[in-house]
Amino acid sequence: MRRVVITGTGALAPIADSPAGLHAALREGRSALKSIELFPLDALNWNGINHGNGVNPSRLAGEVRPFEPREYLGDRNLRPVDRTARLLLVAAQQALEGSGWTAEMRAAREVGLVLGTMFCSVRTIAEFDRRAVQLGPSYASPLDFANSVINAAAGQAAIWNNLRGINSTITGGEASGLLALAYAMDLIGHGRAEAVLAGGAEELCFESYLGHERAGRLGERPIPFDAQRDGFALAEGAAALMLESAEGAAARGARVLATLRGHGETFDPSAGEDEGAAAEAVARAVHLALEDAEVEPQDLDLLVLSANGSVQGDRAEARGVAQALGPRAADIPVVAPKAQLGEALGASGAFQALTALGAFDEGVVPGVTGLEATEEGFPLGGVSSSTRRLDRRPRLALLHAASTDGQCCAVVVEAA
Amino acid sequence: MSHRVVVTGLGAVTPVGAGKEEVWDHLLAGQSGFAPVESFDTGKFSTHLGAEVRGFDPAPWVRTLDPARLGRASQLAVAAARMALEDAGIAPGEVSPERAGVAMGTTSGEPREVEKFNDRFLAGAAGSVGAEFITLYPCHMIAAHVARELGLAGVCTMIPTACAAGNYAIAHGLDLLRRGRADVMLAGGADAFSRITYSGFHRLGAIAPERCQPFDKNRKGMIPGEGAAILVLEPLERARARGARIYAEVAGYGLSCDAHHMTAAHPEGDGAARAMEGALGDAGLKPEDVSYVSAHGTGTPTNDRLETLAVLRVFGDAAPRTPMSSVKSMIGHTMGAASAIEALVCSLAVATGWIPPTMNLEEPDGDLDYVPNQARRHDVRVAMNNAYAFGGNNASVIFRRVEA
Repeated sequence: MRRVVITGTGALAPIADSPAGLHAALREGRSALKSIELFPLDALNWNGINHGNGVNPSRLAGEVRPFEPREYLGDRNLRPVDRTARLLLVAAQQALEGSGWTAEMRAAREVGLVLGTMFCSVRTIAEFDRRAVQLGPSYASPLDFANSVINAAAGQAAIWNNLRGINSTITGGEASGLLALAYAMDLIGHGRAEAVLAGGAEELCFESYLGHERAGRLGERPIPFDAQRDGFALAEGAAALMLESAEGAAARGARVLATLRGHGETFDPSAGEDEGAAAEAVARAVHLALEDAEVEPQDLDLLVLSANGSVQGDRAEARGVAQALGPRAADIPVVAPKAQLGEALGASGAFQALTALGAFDEGVVPGVTGLEATEEGFPLGGVSSSTRRLDRRPRLALLHAASTDGQCCAVVVEAA
Repeated sequence: MSHRVVVTGLGAVTPVGAGKEEVWDHLLAGQSGFAPVESFDTGKFSTHLGAEVRGFDPAPWVRTLDPARLGRASQLAVAAARMALEDAGIAPGEVSPERAGVAMGTTSGEPREVEKFNDRFLAGAAGSVGAEFITLYPCHMIAAHVARELGLAGVCTMIPTACAAGNYAIAHGLDLLRRGRADVMLAGGADAFSRITYSGFHRLGAIAPERCQPFDKNRKGMIPGEGAAILVLEPLERARARGARIYAEVAGYGLSCDAHHMTAAHPEGDGAARAMEGALGDAGLKPEDVSYVSAHGTGTPTNDRLETLAVLRVFGDAAPRTPMSSVKSMIGHTMGAASAIEALVCSLAVATGWIPPTMNLEEPDGDLDYVPNQARRHDVRVAMNNAYAFGGNNASVIFRRVEA
């Protein structure tokens, strides 16, 4: 297995449009959550939806707003590219530029792309169908149809950036981003690719919002690990990390930001219905990742978790991670970036990876903003509501994410 | 550490039947699964044929979960998974659940759930959309439902790389097993017939009005279909130790991206050729070692022309004597399930020494051996499965006979 390193990063989040901006916002405890403007929530009888039907007009979400793609992407034709892909294009461009993979190099050598997303764009798919149904099949939009496939954003980003290597899309709900990172790591580690842009992207849209609302997943108090939490807040964004083999990076004199050490994936067949089984699946994923990375729990300096305010998910994650880490769980510093970023679904895992890189850089661990009190018996000792500066810069971080539907993924990242 | 990986179980639900025997018999007999579309009204369309799975009852297959709480692609996938496990002779509980995983591909996941959403929305009743939209629609639910139904607790990966997705899932399963990350992988693809997919291909002018004629000069397009296929993959030593029947070895794969156009292939078949070359390299084989190519062969004018071009580029002099056929001439284009069904075809071609035909082939548009209209007995030592997709994705997987 070859060593896989990170040589560039990019981010477009509701509170920042660069990895450095993201670190600053997290450190300062700024929240991405605002009232929703991307689609009308307060129109009482808007297509039959009203407060009485369960949509809560006071809901907050993390929107990338204002978003003027041209400010980042110049004057190339954006018409064929939908919102999810536009978000991704911005993050991808930053990661490519930061890593030094120029257009000339990409023309000469294959660069891959692995994207984590939950929906890609359910809005594009739904709008394609609505237009075809309302106006008739001959008015269906070929452009929207091209973007209706779930690998559309990955395909568009490949075209935009001339990425001719392996192009794949991974879906696993809130775990998509980490699953994509793990999948890309293996492509390089096992010699199938030299360089792969890996990350996540998700747009906020009415279809996703209404679905999550009706499934009872959204909350008024979306604060990870808080005793009074009642669900998450949706968000959107994109993040990308340039991965390449350590030899390749060294050969071209690239600056190495971090190393991906190992990963593990599991599934909880009870899909969260059995809390013990859910925690068990988390613990197994963490064990596998530590084993793969050849790291002991006491070597870890930082946890970056996927807790988002969901009542059961947060509990299962805390329990499972604690189970896997043993005594180290009592004092290891914990970051839960969704306290500020919200749940950006497919993009979340990549945001978690950037959160770890930021902490490596600055030795600062962002607090869980808004946290008042954890539940009785809460097993992770290193959770705090305020940002802390550590005595020494963290070196080894464990990232973990689980989807509501049972997929778990853990990744170990080491500072450069 | 790198294990050799073999196929020991096959399951499929297709427009020409369910289960490997029925599917294989019908494909060798040149039977097709096209009929007027029943799942929605095609009155406003200029084409009316589809390749739907008829009379499918999920109840015998979806036993642990409530079939009504699964989308159609998930139902088809669960059925294929149970068939494949049974075919592999693996009883529930025989594999440690933590060491058994699922990797599935799809193009659209559960598009019918978006249609239901829209039907309510357009009727002014979006307020009646329930939790099911989020518990049924997201495509990772296909892999999750298979794993839940069968109690599998290992890796659970969903790879929605459109019409090459089945091959991507099998490739991922191969990598996980090679590296010892699992003992058994259920890998394949699933897609449900939908007005969304039909409307899209109809608008692109890609649907054939009467029949699907891959590689024929008069070909008029593809015919959308649906289905699911799943392969049981496991390390060779494990399969031998338990005395399992081995269909074929998954010898290698190659993936590439055209980075050229969302829906049109590269004009010189560049990415397709690179995927084939990658697969041959991974398997340690030369083009002349390949005895059969299962073509993507959709029946659209562009795809088939470029595919012939790419095969000529990679196979050179060996191209005209390497038989290549497209079962899409019979089962249509089952989207994310297509390359998984074709992987089943490759496995059975290696295991039985038969090649299914390209039906409706009257005037070949190219100089390759497209196995016209009649199944053929052929010593298939190595089969290559090609698949291409929206997004410019190309995937080739190679299946090889395992000598006893």
